[in-house]
Amino acid sequence: MTFVSLEARALRVRSRGVNPQTGQPDQLVEPVSLSLRPGHAVTLLGETGSGKSLLAQALIGALPSGLVAEGEVLVNSVQQLTRTAAQRRALWGRMIAVLPQEPWLALDPTMQAGAQVMETRWLVGGQPRPQAWQGARAALRHLEVEAAETRLPGQLSGGMAQRVAFAAAHTGDAPVLVADEPTKGLDISRRDSITALLRRHVEEGGALLTITHDPAVARALGGTVLVMREGAVQEQGAAEEVLIRPRHAFTRALLAADPEGWPRQAGGGQIGAPVLIARDVGKVRGGRRLFSGVSLHLAAGEVVGLSGPSGCGKSTFGDLCLGLLSPDSGTVERPAAAPHRWQKLYQDPPAAFPPKVTLRASLMDVVRLHGCDPAEIARLLLRLGLTEGLLDRLPSQVSGGELQRIALLRVLLLKPLFLFADEPTSRLDLLTQQETIGLLTAAAREQGCAVLLVSHDRALLDRVCDRVMTLPAAA
Amino acid sequence: MTLQRWVGVFLLFSLLAFSWGVPLIWPLDPARQDLMVLLTPPDFDWSVGVTALGTDHLGRSLLARLAAAVRLSLGLALIGVVTAAVPGVVLGVLAGWCGGWIDRGLSLLADAVFALPGLLLVLLVLAIAPGSFIALYVGIALLLWLEFFRVVRAQTRRLRQAPAVQASRLLGFGPVLLFRRHLWPELAPVVLTLAAFGAAATVMATAALGFVSVGLRPPVAELGLMMTELLPYYDEAPWALLQPVAVMALLGLSLTLLAGKDPR
Repeated sequence: MTFVSLEARALRVRSRGVNPQTGQPDQLVEPVSLSLRPGHAVTLLGETGSGKSLLAQALIGALPSGLVAEGEVLVNSVQQLTRTAAQRRALWGRMIAVLPQEPWLALDPTMQAGAQVMETRWLVGGQPRPQAWQGARAALRHLEVEAAETRLPGQLSGGMAQRVAFAAAHTGDAPVLVADEPTKGLDISRRDSITALLRRHVEEGGALLTITHDPAVARALGGTVLVMREGAVQEQGAAEEVLIRPRHAFTRALLAADPEGWPRQAGGGQIGAPVLIARDVGKVRGGRRLFSGVSLHLAAGEVVGLSGPSGCGKSTFGDLCLGLLSPDSGTVERPAAAPHRWQKLYQDPPAAFPPKVTLRASLMDVVRLHGCDPAEIARLLLRLGLTEGLLDRLPSQVSGGELQRIALLRVLLLKPLFLFADEPTSRLDLLTQQETIGLLTAAAREQGCAVLLVSHDRALLDRVCDRVMTLPAAA
Repeated sequence: MTLQRWVGVFLLFSLLAFSWGVPLIWPLDPARQDLMVLLTPPDFDWSVGVTALGTDHLGRSLLARLAAAVRLSLGLALIGVVTAAVPGVVLGVLAGWCGGWIDRGLSLLADAVFALPGLLLVLLVLAIAPGSFIALYVGIALLLWLEFFRVVRAQTRRLRQAPAVQASRLLGFGPVLLFRRHLWPELAPVVLTLAAFGAAATVMATAALGFVSVGLRPPVAELGLMMTELLPYYDEAPWALLQPVAVMALLGLSLTLLAGKDPR
């Protein structure tokens, strides 16, 4: 079956049941119209919870059972919403392929990569086995990962696993590819390699629907961009138009939140006494030399960035600075002070709090333990833009951005000398990231606390740090 | 709490009320024999109570004996579980938290005890002091602490690695606060479930040993012992044999329902 177009006309999503408070079904996605054609990319851009994934699921017919799609979905001008689930499912893999979030988790860890790529061609694509093998090998060669064929997913690097998952999803050469947050949690180089793969799909005459929160991905893919917020499309148009001359205030805020567009923060505040001197530090972990001969002088009030490719030992270096680990070579000197004045912010905010204790109890433990002034909590809440009511909740009941700010508050209560922020915003949306990083650096500079900020986003570090240190790739 | 657990709680409280209520209302001696009324069927005459649920082959009141037997089983289960849970949790936390040779030593000990079949271990202890309540209790506690130790140790090892624990340590939390905030909230539901299972296992083990005449000795009123004593009369007095069997089943059912899902 040749593919001509996939169109949505006034497509909307609502809950099947009735909301007891309003007496009406919840409207989750407001009417959206879009069209996918061969050789064309469409990108849905928006934050977590803006309804992007629901819209894509409504298009391909994979909505959860509690939700209903209304309006029209046309594949080659054939109405889809009136067809049965089985009829729609017949298109999956043959007409429409889906690349799931974090694709390496979609691979079977106990099966060789080549066989997984072959299997979808054989079972979904309906090719005989020998041909399916040929096709699988050709696909892997095409993506420059022939070596992966006989390996298990656990033996592949992240980038290779990603391309294998791509080859498996892209079976039977389905003309429409739906990619749900394909770059989530990736560093820049891996992000660029996956966007290159997606572009190649478009250049080879496929249609592409990408869901992303990252304007850089939308910019790289081109085509049409839809900016979504709270289930409604805010702005829709050609990528060059929307991303360069945004008309809607929300789009402007979203684009300004991209670290590329941040204003440079004035560094050069008061630089105080040294709080950390690391000389020629090296560390071996799991039989692998992570780094060696790394030196860092850090003074009070300085914000220093730490960047480097995945797995180069950024977190390990931070733990060395905190004294959680000891170096294999070299020395780490820290001035004499109470140990609780070296602190850390974690990548995953909920993981940093005891899960079954209210936030207030967690903060009061710190206040009681170190005799802090309880009034300081109220002052910091105000400073960090948080409300008192949040403290009576459990860590799982507040958003990631709020929880990271509460983690920052907890740390600031102790007047730290040194703060190691380990990718504190990599799990947050761009707008939240901008706000959190701004508060973090400003509050640290006010208190004269030295910060070592880890990020895989070099642009972000360049904007907010006094200087940036780069670790080379591990041997 | 699930409906299942509520049913378990209700059953257990009914049994407790029965076993402690009977001696309050009817001051009967479970060991008192009356050879004039052997194996009388239940007459449900609650005014005197001696023959309300019938009598056994020695004319002893089954009402009084059943109540005494449930008190004995549940009492033994309670102290057995408490004496097993306390060292089990303490040693499990210690082994999981400290690691190193403490962990290796304690795990070796636990594995060595675990290698023996459970009832055999209790029999070994009982062989030293036959028919003694203390020996039975020591044997059962020795068996039960292993479960607590293994589960708590595994959970503690997992929790210790969590970033939240590292964060709290950086904030200067001491061992007591770390235990209260991080370990106990996660361990408590598991420990309570294990305790209910342990109590059920104790009740069963006591009865099994009594039934094969190696546990407690007559004239003690004990469920397994009652069954074995009444077994020869099953033809004449099936209702007498059925009573300890039914109570045993209810005890086991109530504790198992209370335990909820098996955490292992």
